[in-house]
Amino acid sequence: MYGGGYIFDEPNRKQLREEEQHDEPEKLAAFEERIAKGEKIEPGDWMPVEYRRQLIRLIEQHAHSEIIGALPEGTWITRAPGFKRKLALIAKVQDEIGHGQLLYNAAETLGKSREAMINDLLSGKSKYSNVFNYPAETWADVAVIGFLIDAAAIVNQVANAKGSYGPYCRALERICYEESFHLKQGHDAFIELATGTPAQKDMLQDALNRWWQPIMHFFGPPDKASSHSEKLMQWKVKMASNDEMRNQFLESYVPKIWELGLTLPDPALRKNPESGRWEYTDPDWDEFFRVINGGGPCNTERLQVRKWAEEQGRWVRKALMRPTEKRAFPVA
Amino acid sequence: MMNNAALTDLIIKMADDELIQGHRNSEWTGLGPVMEEDIAFSSMAQDKIGHAWALYRMLHEDLGGADPDSFAFLRPEKDFKSSHLVEMPNGEYDFSLMRHFLFDQAETIRYESLQDSSFEPLRLLSNKVKGELKYHTLHANAWIMQLSRAGEESYSRMQQALNDTIALAAGLFEPSPVYEDALIAEKVYPGETALYHRWLDRIYPVLVKASLNLPEAGAIVPVYGGRQGIHTPYLQPLLKEMSEVFNLDTEARW
Amino acid sequence: MSNDSLDPRVNRLKLGDAGEVVKVEEGENWNIYEVFHQEKRGAHHEHVGCVHAPDPQLALVFAKEQFARRKRCVNLWVVKSADILAFDVEDEDMFANNLEKTYRDASGFKVMEKINKFKQSK
Repeated sequence: MYGGGYIFDEPNRKQLREEEQHDEPEKLAAFEERIAKGEKIEPGDWMPVEYRRQLIRLIEQHAHSEIIGALPEGTWITRAPGFKRKLALIAKVQDEIGHGQLLYNAAETLGKSREAMINDLLSGKSKYSNVFNYPAETWADVAVIGFLIDAAAIVNQVANAKGSYGPYCRALERICYEESFHLKQGHDAFIELATGTPAQKDMLQDALNRWWQPIMHFFGPPDKASSHSEKLMQWKVKMASNDEMRNQFLESYVPKIWELGLTLPDPALRKNPESGRWEYTDPDWDEFFRVINGGGPCNTERLQVRKWAEEQGRWVRKALMRPTEKRAFPVA
Repeated sequence: MMNNAALTDLIIKMADDELIQGHRNSEWTGLGPVMEEDIAFSSMAQDKIGHAWALYRMLHEDLGGADPDSFAFLRPEKDFKSSHLVEMPNGEYDFSLMRHFLFDQAETIRYESLQDSSFEPLRLLSNKVKGELKYHTLHANAWIMQLSRAGEESYSRMQQALNDTIALAAGLFEPSPVYEDALIAEKVYPGETALYHRWLDRIYPVLVKASLNLPEAGAIVPVYGGRQGIHTPYLQPLLKEMSEVFNLDTEARW
Repeated sequence: MSNDSLDPRVNRLKLGDAGEVVKVEEGENWNIYEVFHQEKRGAHHEHVGCVHAPDPQLALVFAKEQFARRKRCVNLWVVKSADILAFDVEDEDMFANNLEKTYRDASGFKVMEKINKFKQSK
């Protein structure tokens, strides 16, 4: 599902400049020239230490977002109304796990094992997209997530698919293809409620009101507040600025919400006819950082459930472990 | 003229088993032991629910039944004909896997027998699901085999799971006191008793290879009742949860 | 028993304490197998990704659903990643084609030119 537009900082992050000094200048120049020409970087290539570190962080957080993102919607698998919705929802949640699998593999090509990544998720060291720390309270939440969170994710992932790291781009290509199904089924469920009975419409409006702020948070803090992304843009790790992606999302999806007679809980939301850009009330960024740091309504439950799943599956995995077998990371 | 009441009874019990088993298995989606298995198990849950849907459509289109969504989501518990095996909560993965193995082998035997059915819709469906079932049993056999050979803890878990499920699984073949003879006479299918013996013949070699002990056939006392509307205490809450949204407004489109 | 979640599935699980430390052991997610996918009969098998699996048999079982549940597919191969031998990426220069070696290419042979010359000479 969800790139989760925003790459979270690690608490002990070193300054970019220091790291760079360890890289040999000629190699760095050749590497940067390669990226400037639009060439892809592959696993065995020389790469700056910081490039590798940032990519692992980005792809790993994306992977975690997929498997944690499976939880709020998974909530509704056993309650989805009717065969078509039930099957589509199981298939969608299954895809999220599938995306997690693809992304962990892409990150593993950079030298961090899946086990190590899972451990960093469980311990809270590594983050995932903030939107999944909110509950899916009613069936309408499933429609809002399936339509709008997936749409937001697509904006982010389509941009990242043009990045410089080959394995990540290949994973994203497949992911974007499947996301188009998610978006369509989400939009369909959304329209069904929007055009249904008054009670259905109220349910949807309520969900939309609750999800609007997390959606505005999705792409991360405003550009003016986020530093150090210049190098990441040059290396094509980060492909578009937070504000740019947020604007693109609003441009494509706000009209699709309004056309159904629904409202959004921001009186200032409008497209400026002169600049052609969307204007909105800044969402509460303190809340954003509070939730990142564990203060959201579902942070604890999400990790508890993931831990439960790991504990539950442990005997199966351990029974079939082959500790003496030669192992290697994925080749591509 | 075919006996429609008999056909309806057969199709409902098949469909209810597939729906409830698929529903149970889908509870693992997102929570499986390893991502790859999570994906595989989820696909097979979808397949089962898909088979149920196809069977309910058959009731609706060929036998004058209600539309599939209302029939599956609004029926009272006593009208369900699901077996006790599929109603049981998931337990741990050993239980879920063993149930999956026994259930899918049974389903395979049943659909194989329907390839010669005098009722064309069932014949057509049995051809359609053949490939899916082949994968399900390949998957189930591989797991049973590997976990039974993977050390003491794993082996004893699998043996325990077999002990816990075998009588319930034998209950899948509960004959109908009313319709069984008519269905056999009209060559719709060979009847539950015949399928039960074919099933035992099919699972036995796999269990032997896995060194698991299957009780003597005579010692298995099948758990019946589901086909007559007598259920475990687990079905009612499952149905309530499944239809929670649908019941908010049964006339609305969802 | 209730965990006080909105998720009925979650309420059925026996969750641990919030502060519980859970760690996965290195190797617990098994080994890595590369997956090759054949879209139709007669086509090459193409690399599409990889799966974690304890052995080739389960690798195939897993690959089928992870890599062929949507896309058209008639067959799959799996092979342990550790068993793949590849050139070092920095040896890419070895693959650069030498312009002098036109004797390997169709374009290196000017047949029509010779025929035309012959025809003109008659």
